[in-house]
Amino acid sequence: MDRPDTTNRKTTEDRGRRTGLRSPVSGHEEEIFGKAYDLQLIKRLWRFLVPYRKLFWLAMLVLPLQQLFALAQPYIMKVAIDSYIAGAQLWGLQGMVLLFLFALAGEVVTAYFHYYLTMLVAQRSLADLRVAIFTHVQKLPMSYFDRNPVGRLVTRMTTDVDVLQEMFAAGVMTLISDFLMVAWIVVIMFTLHVQLALVSLALTPFMLLAINFFRVKARRTYRLIRERIARINAYLGEAISGMAVIQLFVREQNSYREFDELNAAHREANQLSNIYEAGLYSMVEAVGTVSIGLLLWYGGGEVLHGIIGIGTLVAFKEYLHRFFVPLRDFSQKYTVMQSAMSAAERIVQLLDTPTAISSPAMAVVPKPFRGAVSFEDVWFSYQQNDPVLKGVSFKVAPGEKVAIVGATGSGKTTTIKLLSRFYDIQRGSIKVGGVDVREWDLQALRRHIGVVLQDVFLFSGDIRSNLCLGNGAVPEERVLEAVKYTNADRFVFRLAGGLDAQVRERGSNFSTGQRQLLSLARVLVFQPEILVLDEATSSVDTETESLIQDALEKVMKDRTCLVIAHRLSTIRNADRIIVLHHGEVREVGSHAELMQKQGIYYRLYQLQYAMEESKIAPATPQLKIEP
Amino acid sequence: MGGMGRLKSYLWRYWRRYFLGAVCLLGTVTVVMWIPWWIREAVRIIEQGGSPRDVTGYALTIVAAGVVQGIIRTLSRSLIFNAGRDIEYDLRNDLFAHLQKLPVSYYHSQRTGDLMSRVINDISAVRALLGPGILNLFNTPVYFFYAVILMLSMDLRLTLVALLPSPLLIWAVRQFRGKIMKSSLAVQRQMAELSSHIQENLSGMHVVKAYTQEDHQIRQFAKLNEEYQEKNMVLATLRGLIGPCMQGLNGLSVMAVLGYGGLRVIRGELLVADIVAFIAYLNVLAWPTAAFGWMLSLVERGRAAMERLEEIFKAEPEIANPAHPASSIESDVAVEFRHVWFAHDAKTNGHAVLKDISFTLPKGRTLAIVGRTGAGKSTLAQLLPRLYDATEGEILIGGREIRSLSLAELRRGIGYVPQDPFLFSNSLNRNLSFGRDGISEQEILAANHLTRLDRDVAIFPEGLATVVGERGITLSGGQKQRATLARALLTEAPMIVLDDCLSSVDAQTEDEILRGFRSVLKEKTCLIISHRISAVKDADEILVLDEGRIIERGTHAELVERGGLYAELHHHQQLSEELEQI
Repeated sequence: MDRPDTTNRKTTEDRGRRTGLRSPVSGHEEEIFGKAYDLQLIKRLWRFLVPYRKLFWLAMLVLPLQQLFALAQPYIMKVAIDSYIAGAQLWGLQGMVLLFLFALAGEVVTAYFHYYLTMLVAQRSLADLRVAIFTHVQKLPMSYFDRNPVGRLVTRMTTDVDVLQEMFAAGVMTLISDFLMVAWIVVIMFTLHVQLALVSLALTPFMLLAINFFRVKARRTYRLIRERIARINAYLGEAISGMAVIQLFVREQNSYREFDELNAAHREANQLSNIYEAGLYSMVEAVGTVSIGLLLWYGGGEVLHGIIGIGTLVAFKEYLHRFFVPLRDFSQKYTVMQSAMSAAERIVQLLDTPTAISSPAMAVVPKPFRGAVSFEDVWFSYQQNDPVLKGVSFKVAPGEKVAIVGATGSGKTTTIKLLSRFYDIQRGSIKVGGVDVREWDLQALRRHIGVVLQDVFLFSGDIRSNLCLGNGAVPEERVLEAVKYTNADRFVFRLAGGLDAQVRERGSNFSTGQRQLLSLARVLVFQPEILVLDEATSSVDTETESLIQDALEKVMKDRTCLVIAHRLSTIRNADRIIVLHHGEVREVGSHAELMQKQGIYYRLYQLQYAMEESKIAPATPQLKIEP
Repeated sequence: MGGMGRLKSYLWRYWRRYFLGAVCLLGTVTVVMWIPWWIREAVRIIEQGGSPRDVTGYALTIVAAGVVQGIIRTLSRSLIFNAGRDIEYDLRNDLFAHLQKLPVSYYHSQRTGDLMSRVINDISAVRALLGPGILNLFNTPVYFFYAVILMLSMDLRLTLVALLPSPLLIWAVRQFRGKIMKSSLAVQRQMAELSSHIQENLSGMHVVKAYTQEDHQIRQFAKLNEEYQEKNMVLATLRGLIGPCMQGLNGLSVMAVLGYGGLRVIRGELLVADIVAFIAYLNVLAWPTAAFGWMLSLVERGRAAMERLEEIFKAEPEIANPAHPASSIESDVAVEFRHVWFAHDAKTNGHAVLKDISFTLPKGRTLAIVGRTGAGKSTLAQLLPRLYDATEGEILIGGREIRSLSLAELRRGIGYVPQDPFLFSNSLNRNLSFGRDGISEQEILAANHLTRLDRDVAIFPEGLATVVGERGITLSGGQKQRATLARALLTEAPMIVLDDCLSSVDAQTEDEILRGFRSVLKEKTCLIISHRISAVKDADEILVLDEGRIIERGTHAELVERGGLYAELHHHQQLSEELEQI
């Protein structure tokens, strides 16, 4: 069977990430929801509104006020017509016009105020939500990031949260306000004239039934649409990633046909939904018009009989108009709510992802700390039944320099990742300073271990911030000293701005060698007791190489060091060499001892290091190991 | 053709639907605009103490109008929105067809995620322009035209008073648009900053964790987030003004009609019925007015999206069929390279990946290429099916320059096994039979046996129906490679290209596969690329590539004898194998 090749696993995963095989829009991830509301979800998100509940309730208080102003206007019209225009009282009419202006101004001001408050609540609570997600993500174990592409997590914190904002402002709040408005109007109409109200609203029950019918239908079509668009996007994403294969096998026409099928199914669902929506919209408008006809028919008679004034009729017409608008726009809000629910679902899911690796309740910070490290019968696998480390045991005394060597896939990188507790082991124990890493306070543990990885990661910002990494308390002298000590000063002070020189994303404006020097300086700034180093395999020019070697020696001095060695000089300087082979420690000893033994190390040496002397690089591809 | 030009051609394709939709729309608006008129008539009769029967007549007319309006409105909205969906469908299909023509180099220059989100978001923005955008673009002027005409026919002065706030409205819209645009740009920029912070944080998570930077990162994020929230609030403050402003201006018109109209009624120049009708017209106009700004932004967004899609459409399919494809001829030489040079970026004098490569591969023979990573082996193989075109020199297949052959014919003749074992998230069965129509079950089983995939399939719970990819059992690297190998064999192409395709397969299985292969390879021309000597040692000729040049060539025995790089690699391989067996 196939070799359980860990390096291969790493590269394919890495490749997947790069080509976006599992792109953030991949439909497989997309859970499809038909619900427009889910109490459980709303409860979870309500927590974020709590700090702003006063503002929220203020907005809710302003709402009836706004509607009162709005609904006063038709009534003012009624009074103006019935009492003053019919009575030919110019002064009274002027009063009514002023009153109307006042109501209008009131409506405009309160409407704006209500909107402002709503947005304030939405923006603030969702900003909190965003920070909450970000904070949670910081605590997730590395294994989570191995599985989930960056793009998807970015979407959670950006697009998905924005959708929630829309839901709150355009969905929840308007639904509340619409409901309230409709209720007010019914009350007012019945207060003004019961029979007329009954006649005007006679069709409403039927319409509500029709809306409900639509809602059920719509839910089904929306579900269909979401499913189908997700499929289109998944297909598209895959086709883009695999375009070379499609072209190589001349399958353009087949895949076009498949795509067309998905595309047509999506169109069909959408067109069906369009017809429902057009029907609903038109029906509400039609019912509105018919209701006005009924109002005129019955109300006209009442006026002619002198029972009500003509102004009442006008007011009723106005109220009816305002009654139907929210009902007409119902389907839009429903759509917004629905898409928001799946965003909410995805966010809650992320927030519920357990932070598998965290500090224990009674975390230990041993004092005084010395850099002893021990692995005792450590077993570890990334995937079940595929152990990468099989009972690894070794001890490193404080101040000792130990080199780990092995072929690709022997478990070297995994070993050093476990030391900082990026992953938890399945069996055995790893001790730092005599204390199991799982009993350490996580932050304290990592602060004691300086890690330098092959692929040096620099954050965008400036050099200083990359050396101090947010630790503002670092004195300037220490930074300068670190830069000089590690020979980084040779290029840092040649740059405009020196320590304040700009670093672009991922440090792309620095050469590999420069980045390595900076990462060594970073270690010195932090002064960890233990240094963990994964030497880079990438070649740099001879001058930089000698600078790096010099810096390395200095940084390793007086420190416990665990080094995945690729340089001959590093192995020769090591106190001890541990040879990992297929996840097991197979040989331990000094360079001379191991060479004499003529075992694995002997061959490895010939394979990897003897080349360095003969200046021929190894033929086996040095797979770039993602840290 | 610009983006809008392309859009016009789509619109033109559906002009009948749009035309019909427009006719229905016109009908709807006509009915809608007459309703206030009939209300006026009814109210006039009521006001002047006419007969209830006449009122009933108008009331019934309005009821009927309501029903008719409901029907034609459904039609107009369905027609126009569905035409928008049809164009969306066409556009998406055309885009897909175009993407299929673009060469591999295009996909290297684009990030899949970016490409995807552009396709998804931009198409939906264009669709919004084609549906609601067009509907309102047509609706709004018609409504205004009708309203003004009908109002004027009732009373000139009252019309002027009612429309008094309109200039204010136009001014307000203009004021808002510029400011909102600026503000929303600021929001977008801040969002981009926020996203890139998240992106960077996530990609550097190992450093964040190793240096316990979590709190610092959260603080930085919170700061950016705060700024984002503030900018959003500025935008919201502006946007929030639109609704109430429109409402207020409409209300002002109503107020003017009530005050001035009332005055005229008292003077006996107008009827209450006129006021009622005017207010009814203002009500009708309220929505198109309010929607005006929204509609403008819809149109703008749709246009910008279409221009972005046009960028994709404009990307040239550099590797295309020749105008008059020749057919390949019978020849004893299957493949010939004549002084082939290749650079990824030839225009900018990019670094040459292949330098002066010449060789011939006779029909039915096996040629192997070895060399270190980055020597240019894969690139050489990719030139054959024209995934890339050579920068200089000639490549002949079956005696013809490959650029003169039809792409489909060329590629069908090559069973290619790429280095990256890409499978589609389909059943294993469908993946294996990907390369040719009408592959029988027997053939699949035979190919599986040859690639030793049968043993793996036997233990899959669903056998060949097992879905590979994210959801089903994820195949191991070796299984994937062997599946892609079987896929290529099943095409029955006369030539087979293996691009280092057994790197994740263990040595023993590789050996088994290669042994089984010998019978198949006898009938086929074969190009093997490998960094493993074991895979190439039986080849008729071996080329050793270093830094893009052929530095050694010969058979295994000759090359080992020579003591050059090949011998070095060979020695190395032996050491590795020994190590493996310890």
